[in-house]
Amino acid sequence: MNFMNTFLPFGSSLISFAFAVVLFIRFWQRRGLHLLLWGIGMIFYGIGGFCEGYFGAFGWNPLIFRLWYLFGAILVAAWLGQGTVYLLAKKTWAHGLLILLTLGSIYGLIRVFGAELDPSLMTTSLHTGSEMSGHAIVSTGVRSLTPFFNLYGTVALVGGAAYSAWIFWKKRVLLHRTIGNIMIALGAMLPAFGGTFSRMGISGALYISEFLGAVLMFIGFIRATSPIDDAEEDSPIQI
Amino acid sequence: MPKKSKKPQTKREYPPFWEKFIPVALIVITGIVVFLLIVIISIALGIFPFMK
Repeated sequence: MNFMNTFLPFGSSLISFAFAVVLFIRFWQRRGLHLLLWGIGMIFYGIGGFCEGYFGAFGWNPLIFRLWYLFGAILVAAWLGQGTVYLLAKKTWAHGLLILLTLGSIYGLIRVFGAELDPSLMTTSLHTGSEMSGHAIVSTGVRSLTPFFNLYGTVALVGGAAYSAWIFWKKRVLLHRTIGNIMIALGAMLPAFGGTFSRMGISGALYISEFLGAVLMFIGFIRATSPIDDAEEDSPIQI
Repeated sequence: MPKKSKKPQTKREYPPFWEKFIPVALIVITGIVVFLLIVIISIALGIFPFMK
């Protein structure tokens, strides 16, 4: 058990769950399906972090691995991105994409929980085995699902936040929302970057980036929803 | 006939720091997103040997 592989992911998990609670409270007060979907996405983020911390503290457990891969590696970005789709796209498009995402998530669940696992494979390639890695999945066609979900999630979440920031900047309005959206975009990109560095064999990159990503997105959301001064108008959230 | 206002129209601006920082940040974010998309698509296609 060490700081990098145990406490850091548990920290990410705690921050993610706290962020999810804030989003659910806001959804309860204001409605807006985007808030609910972001809340669900942050619950998935928290589950992923918890599983990583559990692995660091107690070692291999097939159920924990499957939960981590399903929620932390496959679904999290896509569900967060779906929230942004509800905010920026037409409702009919958003509903259609949500149906597709739900069906894809059920398919992912069936494949991940039906996959054959071999934890010894986590030390193959450039990985040291100290962090969770999808290499443990033996069955074909499971790991290849991940890029498609992440592609959708990255484009929707990061692209949506950057687009919102650009719109506000172009009009020179609501500075707090411009700053908040930039922070959300940066925070959302960090885990994807960490995952890439982790695949290159850089130990700790994934957990550090996940922690910083959760912190940045949380601060970004708070920034975007807190006007800098009273003169700024209080229009609907654009993240 | 109503008189036209001769008041010069001023362009709305953010504070100087944010005026410089925001476009730079947006360009950087766009660049990183493009890079990430290339990486994700490359992983999906199995192009990078170290990504396997």
